Amino acid sequence: MTDGVTAKPDPLIHPITRLSICGLLAAGADWVEFAALRDAAGISDSVLSKQSVVLEDAGYVHVRKGAVGRRPRTWFRLTAEGRQALEGHLAWLAQLQETVSASTEGARPASTTEGARPARPLLGDREQPTRVPPPLLGRA
Amino acid sequence: MRDVARDPAALELLRVQRNRLADRMRPPWWYLPGAAIAWAVAFTGPFSLRYLPRVDYWAIGGVQLALWCLLQWGLTRATGIKVGPRPLRVLRDGLFYHRPGRPALIAILVVSLTAGEIEFLLIRHGLIAAAIVAMALAVAVQVTLQQAWLGEIRQDLRSGGGAA
Repeated sequence: MTDGVTAKPDPLIHPITRLSICGLLAAGADWVEFAALRDAAGISDSVLSKQSVVLEDAGYVHVRKGAVGRRPRTWFRLTAEGRQALEGHLAWLAQLQETVSASTEGARPASTTEGARPARPLLGDREQPTRVPPPLLGRA
Repeated sequence: MRDVARDPAALELLRVQRNRLADRMRPPWWYLPGAAIAWAVAFTGPFSLRYLPRVDYWAIGGVQLALWCLLQWGLTRATGIKVGPRPLRVLRDGLFYHRPGRPALIAILVVSLTAGEIEFLLIRHGLIAAAIVAMALAVAVQVTLQQAWLGEIRQDLRSGGGAA
């Protein structure tokens, strides 16, 4: 992955939502539709809209809007600039992960290391607000 | 917004999300029967040229192209993922890399040409039944290869298309 790629952090795709969007768009498809991207990233409509505007303004993502019948459809594509930034950022993340795992393995016993924690929930599960059902009418 | 650098599971999360995207790239029920019809139309070319001299070979090609466009449009609409015509190799960092799906695409081309030639030969020698069997076999092989091609595209989506 790091061959020919300069490993450096990109502040624009550093937040995990934007990293997810760029990472999914770089995954081999030419264009990805709004709903497919939203479902795969596990984020809400509003979050995707907001973050895609930021990425589009930066020139990382190309947005195409159209309609099928009366239903509007939005398609996303990663630009060459966005791909370059993502590859550099992913290389930097991989380096960081290696450094962190090497330092934690050396410093702590295996049962208390960062990597030994149980699997964390997915982004969509963590970032979505928890829906609390309203109390039933007639009950105390 | 959370800081990704503090989350050691960020890359793992990206892999999970790519798996979800790849799982969407499953063809709907009508896609493979549609592909079989499109290939059948293509492989009726030798029969049409022999028995229907008024039918132009380009007309058959045009019908097949229209069917393909319709199938791809439907697949894109159903999955939300557009995968255009893929080159057999791509230039990256000054080096050429073979794209996933290359073996299946080459096999599809080879089977198309070979099956067409075999059909022409069999029809010329009056072996119509054998030509029909060859056509049916070629359609089955092409549909299987197309499934393999879609599988390789899914694999490409899972692996990140070379991005990570």
